[in-house]
Amino acid sequence: MEMRKLALLILLGSSLAPASLAQIKHVEMRVEGMT
Amino acid sequence: MKQHLGRQSGVQKVEVSLIDGKVDVTPKEDGQIDPSQLLKATYDSGVTVAEMDVTARGRIVKDTSGGIALQFEPNRSFAIAPNEVSKGLEPLAGSETTVTVRGELYKKSAGKKKADTSAPLKLLILEVQKKE
Repeated sequence: MEMRKLALLILLGSSLAPASLAQIKHVEMRVEGMT
Repeated sequence: MKQHLGRQSGVQKVEVSLIDGKVDVTPKEDGQIDPSQLLKATYDSGVTVAEMDVTARGRIVKDTSGGIALQFEPNRSFAIAPNEVSKGLEPLAGSETTVTVRGELYKKSAGKKKADTSAPLKLLILEVQKKE
């Protein structure tokens, strides 16, 4: 039973890891008309 | 404008430089930020966005039109505008390689006062910073 839980955790972790790595890290804008 | 942008979801920090008209937006740890929403929020605060650059990490995937796209969240991606730099990324389409790129997501058309913020944004890759 414990082994099944562990396997499920590993499977879940491996599917979430790439998603958490993929992201927008920084946004830079040049704007006009700012006072 | 700083407060307006700071209220957008996924925004951790906003830094504004009045001297050179530069606005730096740092996303929260989860990176769940929507650049088109930022663009709209900036316009709504009364200033014109001349240019928007992003640094993003994601995977290269094939898009429906036969080009390539940067997938940066499980279900979100930016179509990549073809240029010399993007050609080097084409072989990575569909692979497990994660790339960190800096690119131009929006540039105001000359002569236009107000941009169409509803148009889909295309990423013009300026630099590939990392391949993992």
